[in-house]
Amino acid sequence: MAACTLYSTQCFNTISSTPSSKTHLGFHQRQVVFYTTTNNKRSSNKRSGNNNTGRYVITCAAGDTVVIGLAADSGCGKSTFMRRLTSVFGGAAEPPKGGNPDSNTLISDTTTVICLDDYHSLDRTGRKEKGVTALDPRANDFDLMYEQVKALKEGIAVEKPIYNHVTGLLDPPEVIKPPKILVIEGLHPMFDARVRDLLDFSIYLDISNEVKFAWKIQRDMAERGHSLESIKASIEARKPDFDAYIDPQKQYADAVIEVLPTQLIPDDNEGKILRVRLIQKEGIKHFSPVYLFDDGSTISWIPCGRKLTCSYPGIKFFYGPDTYFGNEVSVVEMDGQFDRLDELIYVESHLSNLSTKFYGEVTQQMLKHADFPGSNNGTGLFQTIVGLKIRDLYEQIITSKAETPVGAAKA
Amino acid sequence: MATISTVTLSIPARVIAKGVEIPQKAQTIKFSPVFRLNQRWPCLTGSGRPSSVQPLHAAPDKISEKVEKSIKEAEEACTDNPASNECAAAWDEVEELSAAASHARDKKKESDPLENYCKDNPETDECRTYDN
Repeated sequence: MAACTLYSTQCFNTISSTPSSKTHLGFHQRQVVFYTTTNNKRSSNKRSGNNNTGRYVITCAAGDTVVIGLAADSGCGKSTFMRRLTSVFGGAAEPPKGGNPDSNTLISDTTTVICLDDYHSLDRTGRKEKGVTALDPRANDFDLMYEQVKALKEGIAVEKPIYNHVTGLLDPPEVIKPPKILVIEGLHPMFDARVRDLLDFSIYLDISNEVKFAWKIQRDMAERGHSLESIKASIEARKPDFDAYIDPQKQYADAVIEVLPTQLIPDDNEGKILRVRLIQKEGIKHFSPVYLFDDGSTISWIPCGRKLTCSYPGIKFFYGPDTYFGNEVSVVEMDGQFDRLDELIYVESHLSNLSTKFYGEVTQQMLKHADFPGSNNGTGLFQTIVGLKIRDLYEQIITSKAETPVGAAKA
Repeated sequence: MATISTVTLSIPARVIAKGVEIPQKAQTIKFSPVFRLNQRWPCLTGSGRPSSVQPLHAAPDKISEKVEKSIKEAEEACTDNPASNECAAAWDEVEELSAAASHARDKKKESDPLENYCKDNPETDECRTYDN
């Protein structure tokens, strides 16, 4: 079904109509520009001073792809998040069948996940020669990234390069067809301003240094050759580039999942219990933040007590408004871990605005993937909740596009 | 998706090469489960042998060796000047390879040869499921 949307633009001076071009879906894409001189009665998102002439662009496109951006450092849980997210939408995401076995892309019925490493402009040897890390923008082709994400968003299939993580080379491209939901995950989804504007929703996984160190130890100690020193050296060596290029992206994210060491156990250095904060930006279209008890109030809550028995160290929740890099946000925080199913259900029944379709959906999703890391603490909980929020956002965008009347330019 | 349906008389074919269309003729192609062929291979059944072989799903051993090698190289690169770009790039490579190794480990852990076969050939006898 082609949906036509009306855009009010200020920058067209001519009457033009672009010829219709057939997209791969067989839909015709037409853009017609009407030049009118009216007072700007129609509601427009942007209100600027010089609104004497209203020019309207009607775009009828089959491209109703919703684009989600996910940023995180390597080894920080992007893959787990992806699996949870695709599971919320239904179906398992798998690498494209019959293609390059080292492809980084995942495809399910509704979702396609693209790894932004595929847009490296320098392969491993190239980066070594120039002394540049993968975190550095110089190693990435942002122009191509922008072009292809824009094309996919408009409903045009693209040939995307493949970065082979095993060989470190750039392999021949693969065809990516525009999906209903496109997720771009990697180090720099929000780095380039043009790509940022294409995103309908963006998430940043902010892992604190102690937790990152603990996770990487868990991941790498099984490898021959790795030692505590080498893991530490690796993190330290990448830190300057990470702080300069990756970390600043969190100010642009609509949702930040921050993972910190627990405050429940004094002097804890095992790093097993985590304190996870979900920082949700206010005022984002189609996104209503999750809250505890009452929207906008501040509350500290310990669910363990008479109705619920928890084992040491228990669970502690916090909710409150805050500012984050100059933006108004609402923060939901969970410290501790879930040991039993009823703890999860009890907590879910007290959180509001979860965008679940039935009671217990969060619990069900968490149990479905009980083997994923973080399934018993805030990381899994908030990742699942963000997944449900994205589903809600997607459905809202689709319904709003379907409702916009065609030919609405009443000049 | 195009798949080859293989018919063998005595031995059930295990993992099949995917992505190549063979209409009527039944071909027996037998490969061990870890191999998967890229669909860009020129004609499998006929005249030429394929000219280039796509890399197989890297066995974790290969990646482990790469990780070890890269750690040694990074340590060497950093002895002269720990703050240099070369040092950072070398450790970044270690990180990338460690991540690839961990993904390969996870994949290996999850892959059950029967499940993999049945995903692509659910109609075969071994893979039939019954609801009642």
